[in-house]
Amino acid sequence: MNSFLEAYETPRLFHLAPNLIAASFALMKLMPARLMLDRAEQEGALDKGARIIESSSGSLGLALAMLAAERNYPLTLVTASSLIDLLFAARIRQLGAELIVNEDPSASGDQWGRLSIIEKLIAQRPGTYWPRQYDNPDNPASYARLAELLVRANGQIDCLVGTVGSGGSLCGTAGFLRSVFPDLHVIAVDTNRSALFGHRPGARLLRGLGNSLVPANLRHNEIDEVHWIGAFQAFMATRHLNTMFGAYLGPTSGAAALVAQWYASRNPTASTAVILPDEGGRYQQTVYNDEWLSSLAGWPVCELRSPQRLDRPQEHGEGSWTMLDWQRRMLVNKMAEATKDDLSRNIAKPPRSTQTGRGD
Amino acid sequence: MSDPTFATVDDKVPRTGTGHAIGHHGELLQGVFQGHGKRLIRGLITLPLPALSTNARFVPSSGGTVRVQPSGKTKARRAAKLALQRLGHSQLGGDLLIESSIPVGFGYGSSTADVVASIRAVVSACSAFLRPATIGRLAVAAELASDSTVFGDEAVLFAQREGTVIEPLGGSFPPLYLLSLGHSSASVVDTLKLPRARYTSAQILQFSVIRGLARHAIEHQDAALLGRVATASATISQQYLPQAGFETALQLSRLHEACGVQVSHSGSLIGILFDASKPEARRHLTSAARAAQAEGFGAVSAYSVFSDGVQP
Repeated sequence: MNSFLEAYETPRLFHLAPNLIAASFALMKLMPARLMLDRAEQEGALDKGARIIESSSGSLGLALAMLAAERNYPLTLVTASSLIDLLFAARIRQLGAELIVNEDPSASGDQWGRLSIIEKLIAQRPGTYWPRQYDNPDNPASYARLAELLVRANGQIDCLVGTVGSGGSLCGTAGFLRSVFPDLHVIAVDTNRSALFGHRPGARLLRGLGNSLVPANLRHNEIDEVHWIGAFQAFMATRHLNTMFGAYLGPTSGAAALVAQWYASRNPTASTAVILPDEGGRYQQTVYNDEWLSSLAGWPVCELRSPQRLDRPQEHGEGSWTMLDWQRRMLVNKMAEATKDDLSRNIAKPPRSTQTGRGD
Repeated sequence: MSDPTFATVDDKVPRTGTGHAIGHHGELLQGVFQGHGKRLIRGLITLPLPALSTNARFVPSSGGTVRVQPSGKTKARRAAKLALQRLGHSQLGGDLLIESSIPVGFGYGSSTADVVASIRAVVSACSAFLRPATIGRLAVAAELASDSTVFGDEAVLFAQREGTVIEPLGGSFPPLYLLSLGHSSASVVDTLKLPRARYTSAQILQFSVIRGLARHAIEHQDAALLGRVATASATISQQYLPQAGFETALQLSRLHEACGVQVSHSGSLIGILFDASKPEARRHLTSAARAAQAEGFGAVSAYSVFSDGVQP
């Protein structure tokens, strides 16, 4: 029999359009969190009762907190002041986790600062286990389960659409699907001022996707097409999922659904799958709150029906929707085509989380 | 065997019985899968080949000895004795005669077919019935590893070393044509002596996805997707038991609009699968056969796998 958390990690599968299947998660990150902990336990990297530490301000942190509570591990989460919200912090703390909040006045999320805090804490507390979701190969590996569920339900899949944060869900699911469908078209959904596909990192209004660094688990050479969704377009798409389907989901799901619906309608003979990673509860006072939306500079904007096609990574506003034919290139190759001014300084930074030098 | 035996029904005196069993052409899928209780277990989906088969005839007699002809078929003899025990006739023996059209030692499942036909001959002699799952378990008890031909056209994911069904795949095989590219004569294999493939954890995860697709393909009678299953599994198998003609077979499959390529994961057979429900399938089969001969495959032959009508 499954535990609550195993049952809870299983996505609902439904059709957004006749040729578009959606996998909608309550908390997608339970899947990678569980496999990372399982493997660490099996391999002896995580001793009984040892401390777990991770950098997360979002759903991976919550997933780890739930699993740590279930399995009796103490947990430390390092987050950024710009990213934490009170209800979320309360839920994490109630699960018994320790929250360390790193000040990030630039509101970029400051992953580099958080990683150095983790390294210091591990040095102080030997035996601490750090799952390292950005590098850990068990993060993408855990999405075999999603790939299996999708093919069981749908059979043929020609295109996969998903948002990117760590790269685990999109690259993991795509890799497994390509073992049976080698021609699978893979679309990554990102947002402006995320470093993942070559923007200079900065404050992002759309949360739950994007990253201020480039994780190793993002394998750029598996990506065919990249879309950058401005926060306002994502918010409107999220509200549509609620009003059209009764699907009260988060803005990450809205962004992914927007791109997937566009692709599916333009490719009626192709079978498309989309990963919807989050639910709407956390966004009741923001995305689902008209007053909050009205308080945002630039809101409202025109709803876009299709993306603007770019020929290189280029930042646009929150009302934008842009795309680029990525063509399975490495990030450095793609960046080399852009002019020097557009090159983000962070790309060359090579600590442990980087896309370069990988064998695959 | 933990199964209880049946009390002898005295008024049903055993008579001469016959049994039939089919061969196979390797597997559509073979790997390691999550079984019940999340235990990892080796399993396969056999590709049945009804055109090759074994007939067994069992003439019971009193005294516990079973004699077999040809005399080398000791696994069949063991299977007959196990079946007699299972049916509550352990005091009986008899003469078992086996005739088979299945080539021995190339991965066509000759040994399992002998075993299954023998069990069925005993079952028929005793006017009894055994469920396919029970025959499958007896077959494994007689020869250590078996295949899923005992289930006929019902597709199952079968644990070949335990004799249990890991997952029924929700129906029968869709109608297929198989272009067998044959075997190399240098490759007589004893399947039980082959080292077991030690799959990586990444491959075991891949098998879970391929298994899910197999289930969908059978449930929806989708030969094209079943071909994807076969190609994915065969591709993994090449790392453990490389087959010389595999890349050529993949090319032929693409060029002649086939569903995919399957192999015997513990032998040297390679086959190309076609969707027999499509009107143009025969034409593609014929053109692929010609091309395969031109590529130098020696023993090219076409078979029907559970499709209606005249055999190709």
